[in-house]
Amino acid sequence: MPLNAKVETSSSEPSPQGDGTLPLLDPDIRPLDRRVVAYWRLRLAAGTGVAASVGAACGWLLAGPPGAALAALAVFAIGGATASLLPRARYRAWGFAVRHDDLVVKRGVLWRTTSIVPHARIQHVDTRQGPLERRLGLAHVVVHTAGWVGGAIGIPGLTLAHAEALRDQLAALSGDDGV
Amino acid sequence: MASEAIRARRLHPLTLIFETIRIARHLVLPALAGAISATDDGVARAAAVGFGILAIPAILAAIARYVSFRFHVTDDELILDSGVFSRRRRIIPLSRIQNVDVRQKALERICGVASLLIETAGGKTTEGVLSVLDRAEADALRTRLLASRSGVAPDYATPVETLARLSTRDLVVAGATANEIGLVAAALLSVFQAVQDSLVQRILDSIDSTALDSLPAGLALAGLVVAGAFALLLAGWLLSIAGAVIGYHGFTLERVGDELRKRYGLLARREGSVPLRRVQAIRIEESLMRRPLGLAAVRIETAGSAVAGRRRHPEAFVPLVRRDAVAPLVARVLEGFDPDGVTLLPVHPRTRRRIFARLAAVIVALTAALALLHHPGWLASLVLLVPADALARNAYANRRFAILDDYVVVRVALLGRTTWIIPRRKIQTVHVASSPFQRRHGLATLIVDTASGPRGAARIRDLPLEVARELADRLSAPMPGPAPVR
Repeated sequence: MPLNAKVETSSSEPSPQGDGTLPLLDPDIRPLDRRVVAYWRLRLAAGTGVAASVGAACGWLLAGPPGAALAALAVFAIGGATASLLPRARYRAWGFAVRHDDLVVKRGVLWRTTSIVPHARIQHVDTRQGPLERRLGLAHVVVHTAGWVGGAIGIPGLTLAHAEALRDQLAALSGDDGV
Repeated sequence: MASEAIRARRLHPLTLIFETIRIARHLVLPALAGAISATDDGVARAAAVGFGILAIPAILAAIARYVSFRFHVTDDELILDSGVFSRRRRIIPLSRIQNVDVRQKALERICGVASLLIETAGGKTTEGVLSVLDRAEADALRTRLLASRSGVAPDYATPVETLARLSTRDLVVAGATANEIGLVAAALLSVFQAVQDSLVQRILDSIDSTALDSLPAGLALAGLVVAGAFALLLAGWLLSIAGAVIGYHGFTLERVGDELRKRYGLLARREGSVPLRRVQAIRIEESLMRRPLGLAAVRIETAGSAVAGRRRHPEAFVPLVRRDAVAPLVARVLEGFDPDGVTLLPVHPRTRRRIFARLAAVIVALTAALALLHHPGWLASLVLLVPADALARNAYANRRFAILDDYVVVRVALLGRTTWIIPRRKIQTVHVASSPFQRRHGLATLIVDTASGPRGAARIRDLPLEVARELADRLSAPMPGPAPVR
């Protein structure tokens, strides 16, 4: 059975949001630090390395050395493509803004999400820094609310100073809010 | 009085017995099972001794925990001290306490003790567990913990209004219609009967012909599998009924002043109260089996209602409500709000085709799989597209929402139907999400998040992107008027 419904034209045409801009919020939206691309790329590369060795081991068991080489090559090809393309796309998709009443966080390449966290709902704010982030001079901020979907919203790719400033700013803005 | 309250207290000494029983359940029973199932006597003894040795430090640790544990209540905090070597102190501000439940398991009831479960917002687990206390002490402590919460604690003069009370018959119905198990069992039964009939026919035919063993073994096996699945489902259904009857025995939901009070349970007894202003959302659940019967279940969601990592226990769940009693119940919980008087708006019509496409993809995959297996009925499986279309139409017709001044109402349906009612003051975060498929048509999903756990987030799927964004901005804006009281 074909999809036989008529094309509905009554409601809005797809707006030119392909570039991921947010008309309402755009004036203040800020990108992440550029170095986050390197951070994501290194993480993906490390993941690819692990996956390639696992794949090679499986290939070896199935078809000996040629199998191992083939499997490793395939994993490297896919992982390499991902590591070279995804971080930049992700960087372009990411953005955040501290507005008067709330924090807006925009993320996701294919599945895009824009989250609005009212300052009054923030329970506490953390800054975190993993070993790789420390090497790159980056940190991320995690904003906690009592919600479920938005229970912990992380903003990666900030310089440590910026992350701390953002944390202090958000903590100062957050209200002591009963649930 | 004050000095008495400040004095740090221990749990009831029976705690030790209950802890020992708990350890025994975890360690000794497997040991026994191991000992019995082991064929070799030496192995059996070794297993029993091994587990026994494991149990001793566990029991010693329990004793140490009991001895080192103290709790006391000050004017505005509940303080829990624990730890043998390194002392740990947990301070729970009374103003942060969402609700306190008194729970009595069967054995605890016999011994006249109870556990106190203290919930605060935000935590995915229960913040404080006092297990076990003397029953009277538990009640007194609960009253004390909650007294600061509402300012004025309801006393005996406050009128008690019963919102829901369920008889055993109601609970049987609730259990029987709780999910689709009964329906699936019935469907399987009919399949089974059809198969059996043809089986009987085949047997009769084969008697006519020469050999009985010409009966295809595959058919007999299929019959057996279906019968087994049916038996399993039937058992699940009966368990669901028994679970409802035992778990929710004597269910009563009352409103006392500005509090909801619930009581239920045959073996494990649960009592608790929820201040009305802590209600985060109401969910009206009409399962496929309940809708034609005019029945529903109502969950009154509060924050922090996860119980120590186990299955969530909604703070006030009414397992069965007649459809016409839902609106009055909601009105008593949400300040006179009438859910039936709300005009719900549809989402984008494209949603029907999106749901159908999703179902159709599954059906086509099934058809392809059957074709690959050279199953004769592979083409016939495409007939499933007809009910899929009906399902998609129903889902579209029921996918509705309303953004009111004080409330957000969201309805979602596929087989069953669920309606969320979220007070706007309780909205935590708002999200606009879109998949690549949605973006092709300029659609997005609006997610309204509350503090009431995984099912507390209401999703309005397939709104035009601009509408979703505008609503997100409106819903996240601070509410006019006085700030919400804590």
